[in-house]
Amino acid sequence: MAAVRDASAVMAAPAQIVVDGVSHLYRPPRGRAVLALERVSLEVQNREFIALLGPSGCGKSTLLYLIGGFLPAETGAIRVDGNPVAGPGPDRGIVFQHFALFPWKTVRGNILYGLERQGMPREEREKRALDFIELVGLSGFEDSFPSQLSGGMRQRCAIARTLAFDPKILLMDEPFGALDAQTRGLMQSELLRIWQRTPKTVIFVTHDVQEAVYLADRVAVMSARPGRIKTIVDTKFDKTDPHVHKAKAFVEKVDELWDLVKDEALKAQGVRAP
Amino acid sequence: MARVTQIMPADAPGGLPEKAARLVYWLFGAFTRVFSIVLLLAAWEILARSGTFTHFQLPAFSEVVERIGSDAWSGDLWINTALTLYRALTAFAICAVFGVIIGMAMSRSAIANWFFDPIISVGFPMPKIAFLPVVILWLGVYDVSKITIIVIDAIFPVIAATVIAIQGVERELIWSARNMGANNRELLTQIVLPAASPQIMTGLQVALPLSLIVAVVAEMLMGGYGLGGAMMTASRFANSTGVFAGIVEIAVVGYCLVKVMALIRRRLLIWHQESNEPTTA
Amino acid sequence: MKQVVRYLPLLLLAIAWELAARFELVSTTALPPLSDVIRAWIDLLKDGDLVSNGLSSLYRAFAGLGLAILVGATLGIVMAWWKPANVLLSPLVEMFYPLPKSALIPVTVIWLGYGDGSKILLIFLGCMLPVTIGAFNGARSSEQALVWSARSMGANRLRMLWDVVVPSAMPEMLNGVRTALALSFILLVSSELIVAQKGFGYLIGSLGANGSYDAMYAVVLTVAFLGFAADRIYLVITKRTLAWRE
Repeated sequence: MAAVRDASAVMAAPAQIVVDGVSHLYRPPRGRAVLALERVSLEVQNREFIALLGPSGCGKSTLLYLIGGFLPAETGAIRVDGNPVAGPGPDRGIVFQHFALFPWKTVRGNILYGLERQGMPREEREKRALDFIELVGLSGFEDSFPSQLSGGMRQRCAIARTLAFDPKILLMDEPFGALDAQTRGLMQSELLRIWQRTPKTVIFVTHDVQEAVYLADRVAVMSARPGRIKTIVDTKFDKTDPHVHKAKAFVEKVDELWDLVKDEALKAQGVRAP
Repeated sequence: MARVTQIMPADAPGGLPEKAARLVYWLFGAFTRVFSIVLLLAAWEILARSGTFTHFQLPAFSEVVERIGSDAWSGDLWINTALTLYRALTAFAICAVFGVIIGMAMSRSAIANWFFDPIISVGFPMPKIAFLPVVILWLGVYDVSKITIIVIDAIFPVIAATVIAIQGVERELIWSARNMGANNRELLTQIVLPAASPQIMTGLQVALPLSLIVAVVAEMLMGGYGLGGAMMTASRFANSTGVFAGIVEIAVVGYCLVKVMALIRRRLLIWHQESNEPTTA
Repeated sequence: MKQVVRYLPLLLLAIAWELAARFELVSTTALPPLSDVIRAWIDLLKDGDLVSNGLSSLYRAFAGLGLAILVGATLGIVMAWWKPANVLLSPLVEMFYPLPKSALIPVTVIWLGYGDGSKILLIFLGCMLPVTIGAFNGARSSEQALVWSARSMGANRLRMLWDVVVPSAMPEMLNGVRTALALSFILLVSSELIVAQKGFGYLIGSLGANGSYDAMYAVVLTVAFLGFAADRIYLVITKRTLAWRE
């Protein structure tokens, strides 16, 4: 029933993203270095939506930053389309939990920035910015500053900014973690709608089991520090069904994943699992 | 300026049209603002006229105003104000440009940081005004040395604010810009500097009044034209009306500079939620 | 060792100074060698000039600053606590705060003459407002929840002022005091340079007038060092005092 696969299982098609035996040592400015990731391997297919699920501090964000090229991979290798990752690039767009919008730029200015850096001609980028503002439902707020927007609107703007420069891969770091429960629910279906219109490979970091099952095709469950990939679970459901939350299979899948994550969450809190 | 909030009436009277209510509200606010200042000036005038103090100790406010008026008529007031402003603002501009450049260099280059960090951390809390005689010894008593001592005093808050501001720029902002393909130079000018600008502005708002304080001291010590020099001349001739006129003039100049700076901040940082003004001098 | 590397640039500057003066790259009148300055400093210390002038300067600075803290803090907390005081005083605070305090030097001389009194008054007037504003902002921001919970535990108004408002005003007020400390040294030296019969500033001026520049440099460096040391000591003390804030 539950299609639990071994993390090291070899996939049939050539993967778009290959993470191969990556470890990462986090060195805080003060104090001892911590092993954040230990020999993590993962393959992600083109246009796949995969969620990284785990308790806070399990290194799931670190893994995302490594794939994004923001942190250097010291042990192991990360390849995208067969090329080793050497730094950030516009083929991998990132969306952060706290939006990271440029506060001195308007919604339009934020979205235009990436297009300017890509050297897109003026008229084309103005038009493209408007298209993406419309796509995320921010029409009418083009000239607002981020400080004038609600949390949900800020995250829409951040998503539009990243989608606008057309990355093949979307890296999302708990993008809805800073939003209230209702906004979060709306944003989830919004993201699926957008994803169906502009299909991309998505790696989505979250600690919310339901969110992971609802959004992703596959969920990689990570263990508490040092972070490892414990298992990968298939979670393909019909996302267009508005009542998918209530389906028996869906609920069972959430329970199954919750059991897997619970032990790790307890471990992360320093509680010995029963 | 001070973050001293005004107490306003809790509720505008109900029933009145909104415009009238707002006018009453505004008038009350303006009244409370002016009331205590008027009270102070009245007390000054009465105290001076009552003979409690000698004319030398406390000339009447009306005489001081008269004196300022005659200074304005003869043109001295404008020459002195312009000279003091020229010195203070030239020095301030130098502090702003080089302070930010040094601060940026310190946060970009380990060598610059190694060299400047101890100088800043030791030099910032020093009373650098003590170096005034040394500066006079080196550069004489003209504008160059006045501007130099102002720069020595006022550049430290700018450098310190720039360094702290750049350190405080969120990692995610920089990563986002890198992600979109910004190179190092674009990152610095288009992302780091704007993101750091509120705090750099705060440093500048500390440096500006400091520039004026030091300008006045330098003028007092070196003499010549300028608001400080004029005060010193008046004081030498035991002309206390002139001294008090000087204080009022300098106070007005200081108040205007601080207000203009706050206005510029609000304009430039319109995107910034809490454009709070700094609370230190 | 780490500290040595950290402060190495200062040492290098000192060596550069010594060499530049020794090899007469600059005029030795403008820049006497550091070693001469140190010798002059020891002489000044021996004949007592440095100590007697220094003590009178420090007395003025701390008397003025002490008064400023006492009055300034009280004023700030009263303004935050009692609305009529705020209505009456905040326009005055707002008006006098941007006044370049050095403009008061001649006035304090007119009022109290050339001695200690005028310096203490100047430092008191100049340093009071930063403390007032710090205390005011700190007391204003004392959390409503704290006030409410203290009230629910049956604290009366006065008790609450002492138990809740004053401690929460502390951090910002201590910041204001730090500004005031720096300001007190600036005002002290300025006023003594301009009009005084003793004190560091007076000593600097008279040594400069005599042409004994090495001694002048010695006093200038002493004052600069004292200002720096006062700030560091203050930081250590406040860190202890504020230990409750994590």
